Amino acid sequence: MPLTTIYVAPPFGSPDKPIPAVSTVELARLFGRSAALAGVSLRVETGRAVALLGPNGAGKTTLLRILSTAIRPSFGTAEVDGLDVGRQADAVRRRIAYLSHANGLYDDLTALENLRFAARLLDVPAAEVDSRLRAALADVGLTPVGDQRVAGFSAGMRKRLALGRLLLSPHSLVLLDEPHAALDEDGMALVDDLIRRWHDAGITVLVASHAAERLAPLLDGRIRLDGGLVTAIEGDGVTLNDTPAPAARAIPAGATTP
Amino acid sequence: MSGLARTATVALAIARKDAVAELRGKHATTSTLFFAAVVLLLFGFALGPDTRRLAEAAPGLLWLAIVFAGLLAVGRLHLVETDDGALEQLALYPVDRRAIYAGKAVSGLAAMLILGIVLLGVVAVLYGIDLAGAWPALVLTLVLGCIGFAAVGTFYAGVTVRMRAREVMLPLLMLPVIAPLLLAAVKATAAALAGDPFGELAAWLQLLAGYDLVMLIAGGATYGFLLEE
Repeated sequence: MPLTTIYVAPPFGSPDKPIPAVSTVELARLFGRSAALAGVSLRVETGRAVALLGPNGAGKTTLLRILSTAIRPSFGTAEVDGLDVGRQADAVRRRIAYLSHANGLYDDLTALENLRFAARLLDVPAAEVDSRLRAALADVGLTPVGDQRVAGFSAGMRKRLALGRLLLSPHSLVLLDEPHAALDEDGMALVDDLIRRWHDAGITVLVASHAAERLAPLLDGRIRLDGGLVTAIEGDGVTLNDTPAPAARAIPAGATTP
Repeated sequence: MSGLARTATVALAIARKDAVAELRGKHATTSTLFFAAVVLLLFGFALGPDTRRLAEAAPGLLWLAIVFAGLLAVGRLHLVETDDGALEQLALYPVDRRAIYAGKAVSGLAAMLILGIVLLGVVAVLYGIDLAGAWPALVLTLVLGCIGFAAVGTFYAGVTVRMRAREVMLPLLMLPVIAPLLLAAVKATAAALAGDPFGELAAWLQLLAGYDLVMLIAGGATYGFLLEE
């Protein structure tokens, strides 16, 4: 029985003039001379649940990290709710929730203390901090161990706690990188349930995963990536971005894709 | 919440988190203190049993011990952020990057002050120095010196935290930058211990305060770039 309210950052657009939740134009990211993303132009409609599929090294994590503002694009542009991830990074951070491979937890703090620290930095109103973090902890099934230090947690418990952090503040876009990894069957069901609840609340969900079949009933659309490029889009809510690139494609000659 | 109040709230939350983790983990505090005390003991052996010589060298040896121990302390405070990707998570919160810098600098300052006060006591005992009467000037010197060290150390710990050879790179990059601080702090400490016979204490303290201000502004303005990849 879910306890947490899903907090939604209201969309900027209007029904007659929608702003896409995600819009990228010729988005590329190089690591050294290797291009993890090699020119991705996509548009994801607000409120859709979309999977990013593809083999290892396809560029799924890089795309999510750019949208989360963790790394900057080398070339091209990326916008979340019409906000540029580079120039308006702080405003983007107020609208996104990102579950990465690493959980971003402190071993020497308890589960509750980790969530309380996150709540402070997420600017959760002081009067609501206690109720929100207890509800989040209950939702991810960690109430019995709330006062235990994270150092003793299993990989699955850490992932659950990181998921709990996503429930503390309002979002318009949730980015999930392999959310089912390290979780038991109950944990995986919890992720499915959260994706469903975010989707029902009108929040856009972009999930990079290898569990395509498991996610299928939860999704509107799918994006297939390979070698840093989009190879296919399927379903609703995703289109290739036809906005002309601001400049000619600027991948330097000699850059290779993995 | 106004910008400044929010910055202060975030900085204090980070410093508090660091303090709780440090006290609970007992990571560096105790061992760093022992390390610095052993350094002071070895300086004593190296200089021999001549108490006058030891007393003359005491201000310099004290600050060298503080610098060595401080390098370990500020490095360690950033290392806790690398466990489980915490630094990247910290950068993803919608907070002013200067607040993150301020929080880590406050943590560094707290660690440095504890180190400084304990080491001052160790120096007094080991080298037979009478601290009575010099306390106010010594504490002021210690506070100003530690603020500068924490300001520079937080920045360079941020620079080196993702490097593989960070244990070497942190002192290599940082020591040249803190040379003016070391000079002013040693001179101020010597003047304070001697009862300021030449009236130079105020000038050295002003230099320390000016250094602190410049380094805090520079660190706050540039730290955000270190969090990006």
